[in-house]
Amino acid sequence: MDAAIDTNFCVEMQNIHKFYGPVHALRGVDLRVRRGEVCVAIGPSGSGKSTLLRCVNQLEGISTGRVFLNGELQGFIERDSRFHPLATGTVAAQRRRTGMVFQRFNLFPHMTALQNIMEGPLQVKGWTRERSRAKALDLLQRVGLKGFEGRYPSQLSGGQQQRVAIARALAMEPEVMLFDEPTSALDPELVGEVLDVIKDLARSGMTMVVVTHEIGFAREAGNHLVFMDEGMIVEEGPPREILANPTNPRTRAFLSKVL
Amino acid sequence: MAVATVQAASQDMPASIAGTVVARNVVVPRRHPGRWLAVLLLAVIAVQAAHAVAMNPNFHWDVYVKYLFWPQVIRGVGWTLLITVVAMTVAIVVAGLLVIMRDSDNPILRGLAYAWVWFFRGTPIYTQLLFWGLFAVLFPRLSLSIPCGPEIAGIEARYLVTPAMAAILGLGFNDSAYLTEIFRSGFGSIDRGQTEAAQAIGMRPGRIWWRILMPQAMRVIIPPTGNETIGMLKMTSLVLAVPFTLDLTFATNAIANRLYLPIPLLMVSGTWYLAITSILMVGQHYLERHFGKGVSVHPARAE
Repeated sequence: MDAAIDTNFCVEMQNIHKFYGPVHALRGVDLRVRRGEVCVAIGPSGSGKSTLLRCVNQLEGISTGRVFLNGELQGFIERDSRFHPLATGTVAAQRRRTGMVFQRFNLFPHMTALQNIMEGPLQVKGWTRERSRAKALDLLQRVGLKGFEGRYPSQLSGGQQQRVAIARALAMEPEVMLFDEPTSALDPELVGEVLDVIKDLARSGMTMVVVTHEIGFAREAGNHLVFMDEGMIVEEGPPREILANPTNPRTRAFLSKVL
Repeated sequence: MAVATVQAASQDMPASIAGTVVARNVVVPRRHPGRWLAVLLLAVIAVQAAHAVAMNPNFHWDVYVKYLFWPQVIRGVGWTLLITVVAMTVAIVVAGLLVIMRDSDNPILRGLAYAWVWFFRGTPIYTQLLFWGLFAVLFPRLSLSIPCGPEIAGIEARYLVTPAMAAILGLGFNDSAYLTEIFRSGFGSIDRGQTEAAQAIGMRPGRIWWRILMPQAMRVIIPPTGNETIGMLKMTSLVLAVPFTLDLTFATNAIANRLYLPIPLLMVSGTWYLAITSILMVGQHYLERHFGKGVSVHPARAE
């Protein structure tokens, strides 16, 4: 069984099922994301794509299946074909290896932009204040927000907040970045600035899983497109091919509505 | 002439953009005769009341001045402050633990926290203080022992639960029940996304609680907790029930009974309670300012 784990895959999800009470939200999803790959998940609302993403960093517990991050089983130790949940501290340590960007930014409102980015390195990685600060300043510049160190989230536009949130996730130097509809809560004219940062990140070779409704972004920046519907991956492959010639009728129906 | 207008305008009119002069409306402030009438009326009443109190011989102002800084009174102020601060600390620590217990997945811990709040909120503080005072009578000897087995260590209860201790525990435990509800509402007001964002950068629960949730909850928690602290200050006058006899109210009452002059001594204790409350309010102001960082507050107002 362990032989099936190919360490070329950064994220590997095997037969993931997720129940919310009687609701069967994920119905046997298999997903493999190679290192350096930009995997874009699209699909109608309620298709389970956000839930799937949140299973990668264990914000959602899975009901069945296995999640591997660079070959390491997440959340459990498997012994005698039983699953033993890991201690909270170990789960927290596993989460450090992923970075997540939320639809609603979720910046810490009582901290400045700089403090938001420094929080992870300083409190979780145990870096010195100077080193965390240097890293945070560097990242602020990278997301185009040099000079905004002292601003509180309430003093930033949505696009700026989301870029700070991206910098905060990057500060942990994650092995994979997870984006949960990063532009859905933004005014239309602010979407571009956030997508530019994400595209820039993709070009730098970062492994990413992006849940989005931005079909243009999927075509341009993605190299692995996943179409989900009703808790299942219905179709996947190179974005240009799928967007040009969807084979599955449900993919075709969805794309005809959004394109 | 046009140039002159632009120059004059650009000095006090930042609205002039690239030479375009924007003529501002000349607004005459609206008059509020009703407000001024109310202010005048209240001022007259205030002066009359102040005069009536200051000139009234029944207030015995000479006695008031004499006993305001009387050693017994000052000692009473000290004890009242000490009991307030220590009992409030006990209440905050216990309430903190209870909030964590109520958040637990374990139903027994949750139930215990709920029962604590139910009991201490549901019985009168005076009754509770009486029972704490009677503690040493009800349980003369406190001991650590194996259940149904030999005693390991023990102590006479009257050495441990002294009147001061009884007063502190009584007031502290009582208030912890109310504070638990305040803390719960504070933590409940925080968006779930905050915890998720902290989890996503790999923070452990304790650190999320301390670094992310607590500072945000404080904004909601501080004003009602300030209320509780001021309430606690005045609740210390009930420690007579224990009986604890060194607090401010007991001290001034004792003097008043000796002199047969209750009014000036009530004014003495009232002055001190007011003074301490004022200091506490200043402290609350700075706490609110500290934890209000990053929040732009625009309170709703009906115009």
